[in-house]
Amino acid sequence: MADAFTKITDYEGIQEYRLDCNQMKVLLAPRRAAPVVAFMVVYRVGSRNEAVGHTGATHLLEHLMFKGTPTFNKHAGRQIAATLQKYGAVFNADTWNDRTRYYEMLPSDQLELAIHLEADRMRNSFIADEDRQAEMTVVRNELERGENDPGRILDERLWAAAFREHPYHHPTIGWRSDVEGVPTWRLKEFYDTYYHPNNATAIVAGDFEEHTALTLIAKHFGKIPASPHPIPLIYTVEPPQEGEIRFILRRAGQLGIIEIGWHTPQARHPDTPVLAVLDMILSAGVTSRLYQALVETQMAISVDTQAYQFLDPGLFTLTAVLRPGIKHAEAEAAALEEIEKLKTEEVSDRELQKAKNIITAQLIYLRDSPFGVVSAMAEAEAVADWKFYVDLPKKIEQVTAADIRRVVIQYFTADNRTVGYFIPKEEE
Amino acid sequence: MKAVNSRSFAARTSREVLPNGIRLLVLENRANPTVSISGYLLAGAYFNPPDKYLLSRLTADMLSKGTAQRSKLEIAEALESIGAHISFSSNTFTVSISTQSLSKDFSTVLRSLAEELREPSFPADELDKLKQRLIASIKHNQEETRLRAIERLTQVIYPPNNPFYQPPADHLISEVEATTPDDVKQFYQHRYGAASLILVVVGDVDTAEVHRLVVETLGDWQGAPASPINLPETPLQAEPRRELVYLRDKANVDVVIGHASRLRRANPDYLAAIIANRALGQSTLSSRLGLKVRDELGLTYGINSFYADSGLGDGPYLITVTVAPTNVERAIEATRQIVEEYIAGGIREEELKDEQSSIIGSFKVGLATNAGMASQLASAELHNLGVSHLDNFPDLIMALTKPEVDAAITKYLHPECATTVIAGTYA
Repeated sequence: MADAFTKITDYEGIQEYRLDCNQMKVLLAPRRAAPVVAFMVVYRVGSRNEAVGHTGATHLLEHLMFKGTPTFNKHAGRQIAATLQKYGAVFNADTWNDRTRYYEMLPSDQLELAIHLEADRMRNSFIADEDRQAEMTVVRNELERGENDPGRILDERLWAAAFREHPYHHPTIGWRSDVEGVPTWRLKEFYDTYYHPNNATAIVAGDFEEHTALTLIAKHFGKIPASPHPIPLIYTVEPPQEGEIRFILRRAGQLGIIEIGWHTPQARHPDTPVLAVLDMILSAGVTSRLYQALVETQMAISVDTQAYQFLDPGLFTLTAVLRPGIKHAEAEAAALEEIEKLKTEEVSDRELQKAKNIITAQLIYLRDSPFGVVSAMAEAEAVADWKFYVDLPKKIEQVTAADIRRVVIQYFTADNRTVGYFIPKEEE
Repeated sequence: MKAVNSRSFAARTSREVLPNGIRLLVLENRANPTVSISGYLLAGAYFNPPDKYLLSRLTADMLSKGTAQRSKLEIAEALESIGAHISFSSNTFTVSISTQSLSKDFSTVLRSLAEELREPSFPADELDKLKQRLIASIKHNQEETRLRAIERLTQVIYPPNNPFYQPPADHLISEVEATTPDDVKQFYQHRYGAASLILVVVGDVDTAEVHRLVVETLGDWQGAPASPINLPETPLQAEPRRELVYLRDKANVDVVIGHASRLRRANPDYLAAIIANRALGQSTLSSRLGLKVRDELGLTYGINSFYADSGLGDGPYLITVTVAPTNVERAIEATRQIVEEYIAGGIREEELKDEQSSIIGSFKVGLATNAGMASQLASAELHNLGVSHLDNFPDLIMALTKPEVDAAITKYLHPECATTVIAGTYA
């Protein structure tokens, strides 16, 4: 059955195949260190593919994908979670802006179970109205849990403020009333639009034999035809921000928080590795610039930056949780001063090399676990393609001090930033 | 391609007790150029002086804040510049040690670890900064419904001199404010020593070289002698209780139902008790509680039951569930019914089989990484189970019978005298 595939490439120990009958991309990353294998199917659909009225639909659908198929279901004594649990699998699914992923890491003699299950639920999930009703309240509780956390709400508001037109405006969990109101047919429509082999990549890593894995993938996914329609494209573009946006969130809480976001380009852009290095320079560890400027000086209890890598242009964010008594404006000024310094003085070779070494080491640590490997490849598939993951260390190595300065000057401007304050409400 | 190594852990792991008492375990795994260290010292909260709850934690956190040879910043610079990590965290009985590094940097990391363990200088200015951050994070935790519910529950179950008791935040804050560098130094001098140190090294290393480096860096360390642990078992409460912890502006309520577990790792029926709990509440997606309260009733995103800290001592047994304020009573009632049914009927034969297969599978999956292997080996060593425990675990699990598991259910699950704490915007 392995002849059902066209081999596309073999690059840095990873093999790419295409399943000819339905154009599904298959990636194999064998590493036989422990008798464990990880399998992941990533679909190129996320909250980016939603609009008002059905925000959160991708995520709600992901929950319904555990409710069963004619083969795997509770009544047949083969509930999906229980079947996987029985073999000690680490399994789950999650949804984000650009993708939805389903995965299992389990003893290597159970690889077929994972492949069979994922192939089965790609087209045979029930998506029943009664399941949607019960699961909606589960998801609503997930949303409520998130709402308990002021930092999370602040982040949600920041993206909503920074993105006016593009769907990164709304959170992956969705707006509460959409989660409550979205009808089952709409989820089914989502399923029928996006859950097809030609919109997915299947990835295997860990302890497996290549020929066997291909045979099993052909056996289970080979029965599924490609989508009868082209997968719809998202064409909404966020226009330039043209001026600083500021907002305040006030509710009960103990510590103030500031979050700042700057618009940055899509993952495929050549500046992505530069922003990744900048992220480390600013906030990786005790020696990082923002830790020194905010935490060592007792203004903040923690500071973090994130260089998001998405399919479409995203944000670079900076978040600081303030010590009691510290004014938001004071901490913001201290953080921005560090950004401004990077526009005038180049970072030293030593500081640059340290940032690169941290990223390189993290990428190597990831390979300790087959799950780390499939995850990294799936994220890369969602925002660019898997070679993005493989090539990242080389691109990181090429980043120069001049690149850092240029990128900070280009993107970290006042007009391009959104600033949110969480201010704890006084006791009533 | 190299085949998966099928030799037993006992055959592949070197274990040695150094003359100063350090127990050193090394397992070579050449799959990836990385190394993980996992370890323990007996210097956790149990050893705190009366009425002190955070001294053990402050001491562990201060180890990386400067030594006789280097400042905090110099140590951090050396490790961060190679992408390596060393972390110490204080638990109920132990301080756990973990490191991650590329194998080429192993000696740098081990030397730093030894320096931080042997020669911490506890600079006053660093202690002050740490205290301020800790106070802020205590305040921050006061916003967390789940943490607040568990905190209250421990106050009901345990007496204040028990290491599982979590005092109110204002007590913790005044304790931290009053802590001096001398307090920390004294705790260190009385509790940190080679005699209780366990170090497990797993990864792309050479056993003889690791041994040589450990002897060189830690072989002549003495420090404090190991102190015994002698904690009486906490009895069950006489009656059930219900407590509310009110927090404003919370969309979600955390409910925690629990009681003293009376379970420690050394109990002969420990594994039976673990299996007994798994069928009830290990997985929010597929255990009894999850199937009813999440899957069928749709009341919660997460419901689980677990022994929160059953190792060297008997921590609490907890059932945790998150719900919207309107669903609190229904969730508590459904949970109560499921637990009572389970106690009345015991585990089903097929549930037992599934849980046996599940725990063995998940044990194997957990051993897929250097860090996973190091942590299992360290835990086996801490509990005196021997390296062979990793090889024997599947057989021990498969040998469990329904009567044994049912006996554990009856012995360890006690909803009739559990305390229920409801934390959130709920009155």
